[in-house]
Amino acid sequence: MTHASSRIGRPRRLAIDVVAVANLVGTLAKYLGLVTVFPIALALYYGDPVWPYLVTGLGTSGFGFLLERLTRGARSQMGVREGFLVVSAMLLMTAAFASLPYLFAGGEQLDHPIDAYLEGMSAVTTTGASVVTDYNAFSPTLAMWRQFTQWLGGLGIIILAVAILPRLRVGGRQMMESELPGPEITQLGERIRELARVLWAFYIGMTLVLTLILASFGWLGIDDEMTPYQALAHAFATMPTGGFSPKPDSLASFSAETQWVIALFMFLAGMNFVLLYRGIVRLRPRAVARDEEFRLYALFVLVASVALLIELWSYDIAEGEEAVRTAVFQAISIITTTGFATTDFALWPVVSLLTLFALMFSGGSAGSTTGSIKVVRHLLLGKVLRRELDQTVSPELVMPIRYNSAPVDERTLRAIAAFILLYVGFWAVGASVIAIDSAISNVPLSPLDTLAVAASALGNGGPGFGITGPFGSFAPLGDVSKITMIVLMWLGRLEIIPVFVLATRHYWRL
Amino acid sequence: MRVFVIGAGQVGSTIVEALHDEHDITVLDTEASRLHALTGRFDVAVFEGDGTSRKDLAAAGVEDADLVIACTSRDEVNLVAGMFARREAEGATTVIRTSSNEYVDLWREGQLDVDFVVSSELETAYAISRILGVPAARQTDVFADGQVQVGEFDVDQDASPQVLGVPLRDAAIPEDSKVAAVIRGDETILPGGDDDIRNGDRIVAIGSPDAIKRWSTLLWPEGGAVRDVVIYGAGRVGTAIARVLVAQGISVRMVEASRDQAQRAAEALPQARVFHASGFDGDFLERERIGQAQAGIFAMRDDAKNQYAASLAQVRGIPFTVAIAHEAVSVGAFDKAGIDVSINPRAVTAEEIVRFAHDPRTQQVAMLEGNRYEVLDVTTRESSRYIGMAFRDMPVHGSIIGAIVRNGGAIFPHGDDVLQAGDRVIIFTEAANAPWVVEAL
Repeated sequence: MTHASSRIGRPRRLAIDVVAVANLVGTLAKYLGLVTVFPIALALYYGDPVWPYLVTGLGTSGFGFLLERLTRGARSQMGVREGFLVVSAMLLMTAAFASLPYLFAGGEQLDHPIDAYLEGMSAVTTTGASVVTDYNAFSPTLAMWRQFTQWLGGLGIIILAVAILPRLRVGGRQMMESELPGPEITQLGERIRELARVLWAFYIGMTLVLTLILASFGWLGIDDEMTPYQALAHAFATMPTGGFSPKPDSLASFSAETQWVIALFMFLAGMNFVLLYRGIVRLRPRAVARDEEFRLYALFVLVASVALLIELWSYDIAEGEEAVRTAVFQAISIITTTGFATTDFALWPVVSLLTLFALMFSGGSAGSTTGSIKVVRHLLLGKVLRRELDQTVSPELVMPIRYNSAPVDERTLRAIAAFILLYVGFWAVGASVIAIDSAISNVPLSPLDTLAVAASALGNGGPGFGITGPFGSFAPLGDVSKITMIVLMWLGRLEIIPVFVLATRHYWRL
Repeated sequence: MRVFVIGAGQVGSTIVEALHDEHDITVLDTEASRLHALTGRFDVAVFEGDGTSRKDLAAAGVEDADLVIACTSRDEVNLVAGMFARREAEGATTVIRTSSNEYVDLWREGQLDVDFVVSSELETAYAISRILGVPAARQTDVFADGQVQVGEFDVDQDASPQVLGVPLRDAAIPEDSKVAAVIRGDETILPGGDDDIRNGDRIVAIGSPDAIKRWSTLLWPEGGAVRDVVIYGAGRVGTAIARVLVAQGISVRMVEASRDQAQRAAEALPQARVFHASGFDGDFLERERIGQAQAGIFAMRDDAKNQYAASLAQVRGIPFTVAIAHEAVSVGAFDKAGIDVSINPRAVTAEEIVRFAHDPRTQQVAMLEGNRYEVLDVTTRESSRYIGMAFRDMPVHGSIIGAIVRNGGAIFPHGDDVLQAGDRVIIFTEAANAPWVVEAL
């Protein structure tokens, strides 16, 4: 009898292996702490205090090390289920990691934990919404830390880990798919380790190219503002479509050439990286030109630019090359959820604000560093709606939905519809909470501003309108609003479902 | 020639029927009853055995064969049999039947170790596409890379008065064409200038594809080019037909009762509109205006359903119906039911395969009216006694030359033209005369 009962063991209540999750999160944290080498070197160079970064690094690595030791007995059974918890927890932890230096060295404007955490979450989700009001108070190292954490969050910590850590060879795929934005239909056919390496190498390469181009503008006198420091800082925020800038007026003080180049790189960063890699590195531009999602993405950018241009002209806001540049730049910036601004668009007329507001729901391509709904989902939802119309006329008509000429299975289409519904749902709930909180704490947000703040946070866009505009700050918002934004950014970066399943009973129970 | 046939089903027996007169035939099949049925009708050697067994093939004497035909209904058996035959009979030509597009593609890429691959579905689809090009024709075949076409037409009272009842020398016969035969009841006339075409005749015309199309409009003035087709059944045959028609720019609608098959067809053919519906549902037919299609093709698995659906379609107003007759006996029933064209995929396949058994000089052969007549494509020899002879002086031996291919171009000869050595001759003949004709040229 004892023999049998010892084999059967105690009844297990949890369907997922929390210990294994903690163990993996510990390992990841252990290595994550190491990236503070970069700010430490920077601090030494600029003569800034080193200890905030040293403490952050040691603290994170130490925490990871301890967690890993404590959970050493884990059976290390990373399944699909555990993956959701790992990516969700990792993002929370990375945001905390990114916010520690603000607490230590951020001064008054960031010493409130919620503010610091919002700034950290905004960075690692590549949102770019900031509570900073006084940029001059930052040391060069801390300002660069903001940019650097955004860059780190762009392609994702997990993908980096898959590329480097052998232990993620098993079970890494699903986590990677959760972290790389875009629905499952852009199949990652290659071996994930290979793919993760290629993606990161490409990401680093593009960042370097952009840095060099921008820096050369400074050296050649094309843009006097563009120091090597600014070049790197803006490349760090462009490639992940983040949108942080060490300058309070975003990109407004840079030259036209700089703004065009950054617009181009935002556009590239909004493309599917696998496709972009094939187009640029493997020299297959036709594969890019034929891609249905890319075509629609380019069309979105074109139509949005033209619409903004007409509005800028009609309201005499800008003219000539400046009008074209402003329209194109802002269209790309909002579509790709970067959030850079060359002008304070919060001051634009309502019709332009509504245009920008609509663009917040676009997003770039799947497999890019952009947030929001993403073009491929719009594309497929459009096809589904068209099929509904056709089938209303002819109920017997069989119409497989095709994407790049391959049929898409109905399950994926359902998942896309579900995602969009959840997206709109969370946006509405988030906006309501922010509206109520703002009313209670007397924050001057108009109804459109409120909707935009929620859309911008959920879409990882960045700035909103009104006081939260590109040259403004989220600092005046109430704590409840800020926490809501944090949650929305977290949900948005992981595309809702990996986080939202954690709220279901079924996920945890056998 | 020694011909080795693997599979004694419908295709196999049609092949045996066409070839048994002139060739030594051995038939291998796993079922004794089928073999028994064959030996009752034809003088052929039979062997009970398995085509996928190299031992059985060797025992049946496959190594002596000049031509090996693997035509069972199963692709895999044909493929394996074809490959073993390749090893056992090194000099032989191997032909296999398949119903898989993939194997046809592989063969075209040179990835299959057999000489020829014949697909029932594809041949059926081609046959139907030829018919649709010439809607008045009961059957058509093309020769010399499509430069010469043969059409068999029924003549009724709708035919243009320019050709009906007029002596041929005065009739408005399309240029570049010739009436090779007029079949009137049991009688076959190889017509001269004094003969005429009458209501109820069946004629065989040989000419350029354009001329054959003009024949079609002469004999059936209201039947224009088909641009809009409804296909019933989205199985393998239906899908193959749709694929060929879509490639020609014809608009295709498909009706399929099985959801899975409809889904598969819709995924495979983005240009076709596929309906998951019963073709017998009046509401559906009305709503989708199925009756307004120019032609209906009935490619469901069940002959009876094809016949019924075709009749229903005719009632709805589809002017031209083509039905697949899986069983040879259905052809007669379809005719009786007023279906314009019946196609038996196995007969089409057999015809295609039989082409490989002819004299190497004979590039192609088409069979008309069952097997009563053949159209041959023969290259003339230097030694032929007809070389240098004008066509008007040639004797009539139950055969008539419709066209010659010289230096790559088709010529539709007049009485003064002279036959030259090396000419490819497209000739219509009674099947019984075929060996003599080939010999004489």
